[in-house]
Amino acid sequence: MLHLQARMNLLFASGPAPLEVAVSLKIGSLTGLCGPSGSGKTTLLRILAGLTMPEKGIVRVGERTWLDTEHRINLATQQRKVGMVFQDAALFPNMSVRQNVEFAAENRRDPIVDELLERVGLTNLADRKPATLSGGQRQRVALIRALARRPQVLLLDEPFSALDRETRDQLLIELLRLHRQFGTTTVLVSHHQEEIQRVADQFIELKEGKASFREKKSEPDSASRQQVSGLITGIDVKANRVQVQIWLNDATITVNRPHKALKWQVGDTITLDVEPATTAENPTGD
Amino acid sequence: MTDFDWQPLLLTFRLATLTTLLLLFVGIPLAGWLAFTRFRFKPVVEAIISLPLVLPPSVLGFYFLLAFSPTGFLGKKLLSWFDLRLLFTFEGLVIASIFYSLPFMVHSVQAGLENLPASLREASYTLGKSHRETFFRVLLPNIKPSLLTGVVLSFAHTIGEFGLVLMIGGNLPGQTRVASVAIYDEVELLNYGAANAYALLLLVVSFAILLSVYAINKRWVIF
Repeated sequence: MLHLQARMNLLFASGPAPLEVAVSLKIGSLTGLCGPSGSGKTTLLRILAGLTMPEKGIVRVGERTWLDTEHRINLATQQRKVGMVFQDAALFPNMSVRQNVEFAAENRRDPIVDELLERVGLTNLADRKPATLSGGQRQRVALIRALARRPQVLLLDEPFSALDRETRDQLLIELLRLHRQFGTTTVLVSHHQEEIQRVADQFIELKEGKASFREKKSEPDSASRQQVSGLITGIDVKANRVQVQIWLNDATITVNRPHKALKWQVGDTITLDVEPATTAENPTGD
Repeated sequence: MTDFDWQPLLLTFRLATLTTLLLLFVGIPLAGWLAFTRFRFKPVVEAIISLPLVLPPSVLGFYFLLAFSPTGFLGKKLLSWFDLRLLFTFEGLVIASIFYSLPFMVHSVQAGLENLPASLREASYTLGKSHRETFFRVLLPNIKPSLLTGVVLSFAHTIGEFGLVLMIGGNLPGQTRVASVAIYDEVELLNYGAANAYALLLLVVSFAILLSVYAINKRWVIF
């Protein structure tokens, strides 16, 4: 488990008040940290990373104690196996994409560098400088750079908030994949809970320094799901691109995760996980 | 112009080059410390470093004169320990010039470091890199324009020294007779032709240096 207890005085919009948090997160889980701006989300991440010192606090990851103010234990950021993705990506402008990732890896020949670049489709851009990349590409680099250190804990501070919805959705899926592959205990800060609803296992909701913890609403029983394969006979992309309606065989299905569906064409054969309502939650077709 | 004495000009550039090189070693760590320290008396340190900007060079020169004098505390020790004489010597000019041009190096580099987003530094720490490695591999390479500005301003300011040199260096050919002092000297002797040659050369060189800095800095805005 990752135990986090912290208390420190912060200045909120309504005045000074203590930030008080005590949560335990399962190792390998993905936690959404939500709340309005100025509620202490970033401060909490910084306490985990060792960039901010709380007045009182404990951070324990598995058997290892990172912080225990009572016993005067405080591991430096460098000694915590932590990866952090900043809101502004914080890529080093003097280094190319590859050099940024290599900087984080143990050595330049570490095969993890190529593997990560390929995993997020950045191999072709590896020699470019960060200034020439789009916002989404920059955050991808920041994400794999954080992972190149093979962290135990991955912290993401609203990394996707400045991106358009489509890119954000894609990056969330990539994040989920990498999070599972690396087995990190991940904390993802987001303004909007619904945005990370699909990827998070649990949520911490912060309001003026007070935290409430809740598990994710249980997924629909997997037994009630069924797989459907068939030929696409028609596609209707809703104006907002959030939903794509397809005619599969004779049934009409609405796909709520459009990033994949947008690539489909009439005549493609696909397989979908379908929930009892005619909404496909997990498109698996190509 | 056949009997034109190049020595003062060469001495000036030797002094400015050596001072600037040494300032890189002194000024950059000092600027790095000032940019990130939470030391309570940081304003005191900053004020001391900036003093040469507002003090008349003769004031600075006067105190150096006292300090470097063989009868003064520092001068006596330097003489007995290292056999080093700083008054009316080139070495003395270099030491004094380092103090005199220090604010130009420190301010430029410090401002460059403070303007970098804190997230760059913090990202490097989360990637396990020490303060030193972060400083040399992440921070310094990203403030090249500030470094260049610091180097050029220190160099140009040292070229322009006059009062300080006169106070502690005097006018010894090949030792302390730099171009600015030579100009003054030639004018005193009503030797306007030689004075004009020194002055014009300093003017052209200074302009060329500044022009190249502005031109290069314009390109470096985009990394």
